[in-house]
Amino acid sequence: MMHCTMEDLGALRAGEASVWARRHITTCAACQAELEVLYQRVAQLKALPALHPPRDRWPTIQATLHAERSRRRRTWGTWTGSLALAATIAAVLLVQPPGGEQGKLHAELNQAKQQSATLEDSLQQFDIDGRVLSGHAAAVVAELEDRISVLDGTLAQHEQNVRDAELVKLWQERVGLMRELVNARATRARYVGL
Amino acid sequence: MTVALAVPDVIVARAQAGDEAALEALYRAFETPVYNLVRRILRRPEDAEDVLQETFLEVVRNIKQYRGEGYLWGWIRRIATTKALMRIRREQVRETESLDEEPGKPGMHVAANLDLERAFDRLSETSRAVVWLHDVEGYTHEEIADQMGKTVSFSKSQLARAHARLRRMLDEGAQA
Repeated sequence: MMHCTMEDLGALRAGEASVWARRHITTCAACQAELEVLYQRVAQLKALPALHPPRDRWPTIQATLHAERSRRRRTWGTWTGSLALAATIAAVLLVQPPGGEQGKLHAELNQAKQQSATLEDSLQQFDIDGRVLSGHAAAVVAELEDRISVLDGTLAQHEQNVRDAELVKLWQERVGLMRELVNARATRARYVGL
Repeated sequence: MTVALAVPDVIVARAQAGDEAALEALYRAFETPVYNLVRRILRRPEDAEDVLQETFLEVVRNIKQYRGEGYLWGWIRRIATTKALMRIRREQVRETESLDEEPGKPGMHVAANLDLERAFDRLSETSRAVVWLHDVEGYTHEEIADQMGKTVSFSKSQLARAHARLRRMLDEGAQA
């Protein structure tokens, strides 16, 4: 007498068995017992005790994350440092700006770059890596840092090519974001009493 | 092992904002289910530990991408499963496939008190993965085939062969 294979029993369990297997199982005691054993085995597998990790891996994960974050911040710091230097050089070179509309733009650009550099210095007082931030504050700060990074990338790519008016606009936008970032850090520092 | 974990939304939101305490809370909530899953699939405990670490590094790096669709455990489980299966693929050359199919090999004798857990441990990593994902985690054959890069037929036949082997080993254990 032909019996169900393990494939047939699996298909019966899944409700996908052939007509033959479905008929056979109703009359064959051996196959019924085999199917029951299969059900029991699966139930036993589900009931196996949970295996626990032998060591705590969180410290390693945490250390990796810290290293990644420091790398990102160093990259960002290099960008902002370069921009601050560029602002200082521009301030020296623009001691005698040209007159008229062009002169006004140069003055505005110079002012925005100087403001940006000053805000960078202010930010250093709030110890970027060390502070404990709430979830909301961390999200605000992370978003501002991301936006400033994107803006710095744009400035680095286009500083030589865009017109002065657009450059002034970009630098003023950067000053606005830097101001928000300093405020977010300063508010948090006041809140935790640091 | 049935996992019925519910992590408060506020913890997930804080983790998404980069809050380290919340990220650690996620790790603590899921370290055992993840380890258990990958340890059942992978033969070597040290491989399972590595996959546990890789899984949580990916979880932490990509938690912002979790949109709250479906259970968080489902999202984490998928990452863990993918990493465990990738490790099987990568180390397939090293893997001593189907130990139970080589009864003549020294040391392959099935011990008298062989129980289900030990029999399961003797299956190949591919068979273990299919059995565990299908029978315990509730994956469909389509999902297993998709994650393994194989066909549905492959998944079905692996499952049937694995159960036949388990049956044989348990019978031999009971008779010995």
